[in-house]
Amino acid sequence: MSAPESRAWHRMRVQEAALPFVVILLAVIGTVLKGHQFFSAGNMWTVLVQASVAGTVAVGMTFVIATGGIDLSVGSVMAAAAIIGGHYFPESGAFGFMAATVVAAAALGALNGVAVAWLRVVPFVATLAMFASARGIAQQVSHQTPVPLYHLEALAAIGSKRVLGVPIPAIVFLIVVALGWVLLNRTRYGRYVIAVGGNREAARIAGIRVRPILFSVYLLVGVCTGIASVLQTGQLASASPVVGLGLELDAIAAVVIGGTSLAGGRCTMVGTFFGILTFALIFNLLTHMHVESQVQQILRGVIILGAVVVQRRAE
Amino acid sequence: MSALLTVRGLVKEFPGVTALAGVDLEVEAGEVHCLVGQNGAGKSTLIKCVSGVVAPTAGTIALSGGQLASGRPGAALLAGVATMYQELDLVPDLSVAANIFLGHEPRLGPLLDLRTMRREASALLARLGHPSLDPDARVGALRPADRQLVSMARALSRQVRLLIMDEPSAILDPPEVDALFEVVRRLTAEKVGVIYISHRLDEIARIGDRITVLRDGRTVASNLPATTPVDELIHLMVGRSFGDVFPDRAEPTADVVLRVSRLRRPPHVVEASFEVRAGEILGIGGLVGAGRTELLRAIAGLDLATGGEVEVAGRVLPRGRPDVAVGAGLGMAPEERKSQGLWLGWSLVKNVTISHLRKLGRGPFTDAASERRAADQHLRSLQVRPEDPMRLAAELSGGNQQKVVLARWLLHSARVLLLDEPTRGVDVGAKADVYQVIADLAARGLAIVMVSSELAELIGFCDRILVMREGAMVGELRGEEATEEAILRHALRTASDPPRSEAR
Repeated sequence: MSAPESRAWHRMRVQEAALPFVVILLAVIGTVLKGHQFFSAGNMWTVLVQASVAGTVAVGMTFVIATGGIDLSVGSVMAAAAIIGGHYFPESGAFGFMAATVVAAAALGALNGVAVAWLRVVPFVATLAMFASARGIAQQVSHQTPVPLYHLEALAAIGSKRVLGVPIPAIVFLIVVALGWVLLNRTRYGRYVIAVGGNREAARIAGIRVRPILFSVYLLVGVCTGIASVLQTGQLASASPVVGLGLELDAIAAVVIGGTSLAGGRCTMVGTFFGILTFALIFNLLTHMHVESQVQQILRGVIILGAVVVQRRAE
Repeated sequence: MSALLTVRGLVKEFPGVTALAGVDLEVEAGEVHCLVGQNGAGKSTLIKCVSGVVAPTAGTIALSGGQLASGRPGAALLAGVATMYQELDLVPDLSVAANIFLGHEPRLGPLLDLRTMRREASALLARLGHPSLDPDARVGALRPADRQLVSMARALSRQVRLLIMDEPSAILDPPEVDALFEVVRRLTAEKVGVIYISHRLDEIARIGDRITVLRDGRTVASNLPATTPVDELIHLMVGRSFGDVFPDRAEPTADVVLRVSRLRRPPHVVEASFEVRAGEILGIGGLVGAGRTELLRAIAGLDLATGGEVEVAGRVLPRGRPDVAVGAGLGMAPEERKSQGLWLGWSLVKNVTISHLRKLGRGPFTDAASERRAADQHLRSLQVRPEDPMRLAAELSGGNQQKVVLARWLLHSARVLLLDEPTRGVDVGAKADVYQVIADLAARGLAIVMVSSELAELIGFCDRILVMREGAMVGELRGEEATEEAILRHALRTASDPPRSEAR
């Protein structure tokens, strides 16, 4: 009885430790193939910026998956939040827009949380419904056209300015990862999240309020999605109703490749970070090798499947 | 006469552990051979070797003189060895007939021959003395006893010569155990040999023919008569005697800590009222399904009571709020320890501190050092083995896992403990340990409510016994009145009673 349990635990630790080497390996391969065109400070920042949107969402997604749930709606919510911010608050200044976007995403996440925690809808179904509706909100409000936001200079700065040589999206992403790690591993809340995901009945018996915990993780991924939405909108300098297509896939894949169990209760923020980095490096390298984006999309599925198969084998 | 099954010098080494260190076993056709030993003595490994699930490191297994290919479950099945495991290996969503013939369904060409399957299933059930069980019934809807019958019919459907039964009675009520024994006798009358494993030693004299005792992976006594006194068996199993299993206890004080008044959760709990004083151990007896677990769950707020009140140390608990109950000092150790009591993949420290994190950290943050210090102190005081508090809960024996759950409530300074079958799955040697821990907790002034199916435990250990039947409290026994006969009389009396009105 003990063997599979501790083996799975062990596997997660191994994976956590192995992923940095995968990242280094990818960097070496890239350097060998493409030289300093690939291995340059500029390109490394580009990789982090490319990873920042899905990566920020993946931090929240780690908490959701830790409870044994899933959030399929993040891509649609990202678009809806950006459009709501851009359409209703274009004159509130950059920070007004940012606040509105994050609050909108958090509100949609909270709806998911209510559906899962109190209405007891299966997370897959609850967030699939939101996946459809939030995209609809984005398209309806925007009349299917992007909302230009060039006039919000502080917003556009996200895509153009650097702080101490580091692009702003990369900074935000790294801060969110660090906060996520602390929240998951060093707070009572994080312990409760893992407890609920690992054994819901034991958590109730131990006196943990399960429903508020379940609710909170969807709220949390909503906030992360709102931040990601601001990063994305800043880079485009406009709010678009078609952003975030396939975002849920990238975020969930990074979490799972990182070693977090879809069954809940076993999760690693470090794994998620390197999972997203691995993904971003692979596609950056493919782009440098002039692989077409359609082909990259095919490879995306192959890589996810391959990673999970390798994990199973490792067991 | 050559024996049906002959096991000679069986050795099984797992990495780092010797599970079997030389086991001999001989089973005759038509006998019930009881296999006893503590958890970890090697019973499970032995039967896994015989049924081919595990390949032994050394030694021989022969059926009617013919060597069994080792480590091949298919070969063992073909040779006529069938095993009924503790966890019933049935598919709940399939019918009785489909389960019986799972893996060797009768066919008409490529299609299932449902008619033959149904007819033969009925014939098998009739052979077991239960012709009324419907072969079309969904197994998930059956009572545990009937499910077991399906397991046995499945074993019979394979021309069984040797049937291995691992703790078949663990989930059964006394009348169901009687029925089970009746079926076993029918099998032995057909010259089937039976290996019977049970922790309930009192059953052995009733059903067994001979006994083999295992200890630490070795056969320490074989072919004992079934009339061997229980004390002697226990002595062989643990290497010491049974006399002082139940510790001496102090008198409870006068303060009532837990007061349950007119608590209702029909149909499982029709109405329950009782009080428990500090230092008192209240036993709750009754048959499986009498509503005892449901009563504990309703008290703890895990299931929503529809009426009545629970008061802990003078504080009335809101209904359906287990978190408030824990906050008020009410702790529970559920029967399903592995699936409800613990996080098996967590360290002992985390399992102990989970209900008390608020007091062990700074602000919203946890503090690993103070968690470890607090957990270590209580794990030590309960003598949990192994001593390393960073071990995973999954690696501990049943008795030690139970102590980890108790350590949690000790750390949380609980006032009331609800224990559901606290010694189930705990082996004989470790039971005395668990009793001692519970007695110590009572001596510290905790009020303890303990549900148990073991009559000896209720009588020898509890201050007072309440008996439940069909969701109602039907009797209170204390001191001299508390006899096995009295408990069973209360638990069983059904014939003369009017049917429950609240049942639906």
